[in-house]
Amino acid sequence: MMEAETGCVLIVDDDLAMRESLESLFRSVGHGVLAFASAQAFLSEVLPQRPCCLVLDVRLPQMSGLEFQRELNRLRIQIPVVFITGHGDVPMSVAAMKAGAIEFLTKPFRDQDVLDAVHRGLTMDAARRQALIDLGALKDRCGQLTARERQVMALVVAGQANKQIAAALGLSEVTVKGHRAQVMRKMQASSLPDLVRFVDRLSSVD
Amino acid sequence: MDSDRGGLLISAARPTDLQRRLAPAILLALVLGLTPVVPVARIPLVGTETFLPAYAAAVLVVELVTAVLLYALFVAQRGLAVLVLATGYLLTGLLVIPWALSFPGVFDALGIDMGLQSTAAIASLRRFAFPVAVIWYALIKDRTGPLPWSEPSAAALVAAVIIATLVLVGLITVVTTLGGHALPPLMRDARHVAALWSAVPATVLALYGVALLLLWRRGCSVLDLWLMVVVAILAIEIIFLSYVSGGIRLSIGWWVGRVLGLISASTVLVVLLTETTMLYARLARSVAAERRIREARISAMEALSATIAHEVSQPVAGMITNANAGLRWLDQGSVGQAEARAALERIVRDGHRAGEVVAGVRAMFQPGTRAREALDLNACIRDAMERCREEAKAHRVTVQFDLADGLVPVTGNQVQLEQVVSNLAMNAIEAMREQPAPGRRLSIRSRMVQDDMVQVAVEDTGPGLPAGQAEQSFLAFHTTKPDGMGMGLMFCRFVVECHGGRLWVERAEGDGARFLFTLPRFQEEASLPQEEGA
Repeated sequence: MMEAETGCVLIVDDDLAMRESLESLFRSVGHGVLAFASAQAFLSEVLPQRPCCLVLDVRLPQMSGLEFQRELNRLRIQIPVVFITGHGDVPMSVAAMKAGAIEFLTKPFRDQDVLDAVHRGLTMDAARRQALIDLGALKDRCGQLTARERQVMALVVAGQANKQIAAALGLSEVTVKGHRAQVMRKMQASSLPDLVRFVDRLSSVD
Repeated sequence: MDSDRGGLLISAARPTDLQRRLAPAILLALVLGLTPVVPVARIPLVGTETFLPAYAAAVLVVELVTAVLLYALFVAQRGLAVLVLATGYLLTGLLVIPWALSFPGVFDALGIDMGLQSTAAIASLRRFAFPVAVIWYALIKDRTGPLPWSEPSAAALVAAVIIATLVLVGLITVVTTLGGHALPPLMRDARHVAALWSAVPATVLALYGVALLLLWRRGCSVLDLWLMVVVAILAIEIIFLSYVSGGIRLSIGWWVGRVLGLISASTVLVVLLTETTMLYARLARSVAAERRIREARISAMEALSATIAHEVSQPVAGMITNANAGLRWLDQGSVGQAEARAALERIVRDGHRAGEVVAGVRAMFQPGTRAREALDLNACIRDAMERCREEAKAHRVTVQFDLADGLVPVTGNQVQLEQVVSNLAMNAIEAMREQPAPGRRLSIRSRMVQDDMVQVAVEDTGPGLPAGQAEQSFLAFHTTKPDGMGMGLMFCRFVVECHGGRLWVERAEGDGARFLFTLPRFQEEASLPQEEGA
C-alpha cells in the first residue's frame, strides 16, 4: 500500500484540459505526477526511479496512443498503461488490452475508476520493482560462493544426503558438512526449503 | 416534375440540331438514290411473289413492335395523341396479314384465293388508315391538362383499344373476302390496276400532304420530326407504287416502293429504341452521380459529427475530472483550498471552450445558411478578409490579394463561404506565429479553372504541414494548435463539399502550406445537394 501511494503517475494527453485536470486529480490523492503533451516528449524524458503508471490518451498527434504502447514494448520499457479515449470502440480496446494495458476508460470517466486503475498499475509496478531488487540481492549472495560450495549447493537442493555428496565429489563427509554450513550462511537461508526456493528463483532468470 | 417527365419523353422532347439536319438529309439521300431506278421501274420481276411473305412478315413485326412501344409511352404519359398513333400502327400492321394472304399467286398452294379485288381493297384501306391516324394525332397533340387516367385505367384503355382494333381487322377481312364481288373494281387483273385505282393514290397523297402540313405547324417534338420523315417516305413510296411503276405489281418500281414502305415503318421504331437507350444511359449516369454526391455528403457528415463530438467531449471530460479533483482537494480542508480554486478556474475556462464550439456549430447552421444564390466569390473573399484584418495586423502579417477579373458567379451561401475563407486565413495567420515577423505573408488568390470552376488558394509562409499530416489535418485539426477551436478545417471541407466543390492542401513554394478549394459556377437549376438529408 505504501509504495503505491508514493508512486508517480505519467500522463500523455495532447489536450490541455485533460492534462491539467488529471494532474490535479492524481495530486489530490497524493500521487506524484508528470504530464506530457506528446509521446515524443515522454520518450525524451528520464523516468523517475519509483513505481510508475502511464495514463495514455488513444488519440495523439503524430504517434497514436496504441502505436506508442507498441513502441514502449519494443523498447522494453515495462510500465503499466491505463488508456483513456474520447470515443473508444471495441476493436481498439481489445488491441490495447492484448498489448498489455491494464484498463481502457472512455472519457468522461468516473474519477474512482481512473484512480482505481492507476492504483492497480502502481501496485503492479511496485511489485515488479521489488522482485527485481530481490533477485539482484540473491545474485550478489550467489556470487560470494566458491566453486566447490556451488557444487555442494547444487547437489543439496537436488535432495542428496551428505554421504552421497561426499562420494560424488570425492570428499570426506565432514568437509561436505562444512561447505554446506557455509552455503546456508552465505545465501542467508534459514532452512533447506528456503535454499531450494532461492536457487529455483535464480535458475528461472538464467 | 410533370414538365421534367414531358421534357425527357420522346413525345415531348425537342429534337437536337443533329436530328433536325439528319431528317431532311435522309429524305434527300433516298430521293437521289432512287432516281436512277425510274427508267427501269416498269420492268416486271416475274416470280418474285415468293418474297412477298417475308416482306409482309417484316412489316407486320416492325409495326406491331412500334405499336407496343407507343402504347407503353401512352401508359407512361397518358396523352391521347400517342394512343391514336399507336392504334394507327397496330391497324396498318394487322392489315398486312389479310393483304399478304389475299395477294394473288402467293398462297395458291394453300388453296387461298380471295378474289381479285380483296388485296387492292385491303391495301387502299391501309393507305387511308395511317395518314388519318397521323392527322388525328397532330390535331389533338397540343391538348394538355391534368392526366385524365390513372396508370391502371390507361392500361385498361389500351387493352380495350387493341381488342377493338383486332375486331375491326377481322371484320375487314371477312367483308373483303366474302363480299369480293361487291368490292369496287380496283384491279384489271392480278398484275394491273384498273382505272378506278388512280383515285386511291391521289387521295392518299392529299392526306399525306395534310398530315405533313399539320405536323409541320404543330410539330416540335422528336416524335413529330420523325413522323414527318415517315409520311414523306410513304409519299415517295406511293409515287413509286402507283406512278413510277405504272401501277404494275412486282415490277422493279413496285418493289422499290415496298422497300421504302419497310424503311418508313421502321423509322419510328428505330427512333424509339435509340431514344430509349440514350435516356436509359443518361438516367444511369445521373443516378450514379447522385449516389456519389450523397455518399460524399454522408461521409462528410459523419466526420463532422465525430469532430463536433470530440471537440465538445474533450472540455466536458476535463470539467468533470477537474470537479472531481476539486471535491477531493476540498475534503483536505484548508490545505487543498488553493488547489480546489485552481480546479474551479479550469472548469470555467473549459466550459467557455465547450460553449464556443457549440456557438461555432450554431453559426454554421443558423437560419439562412441553407439559401443558395449566385455569389461573387471575390466579394466574399474581401468581406471575409475584412474580418481578419485586425488579427493579421496584431500578428504583423502582410496580406496580399491576387483576385482574377471576370470570375463567373458560384452557387453558394455567403455566410458559409465567408466563414470558409476566414477560417483558412485565421489558420494561416496562426501557423506563422513562430516565423520571424518580416517573413509573415498571407496571400489569397482566385482563378478560373476548367471554364466552369472557380479556385481559391490561401497560402502562408509558415512551417507548412509535416509530411503525411496533410490529410490528417482535416480530421483531427486540434492536434496542431494548443488552444484552437479545432473544427476549422473540418468545417471548411464540409461546407465546400456541400457546395459541390473540393478542398485540399499542398506544399507552397518555400515551406508554407497552401489550402485550395474549388466551387462550381452558378447554374439556374443547379442540382446541388441540400443540407437536409434526402
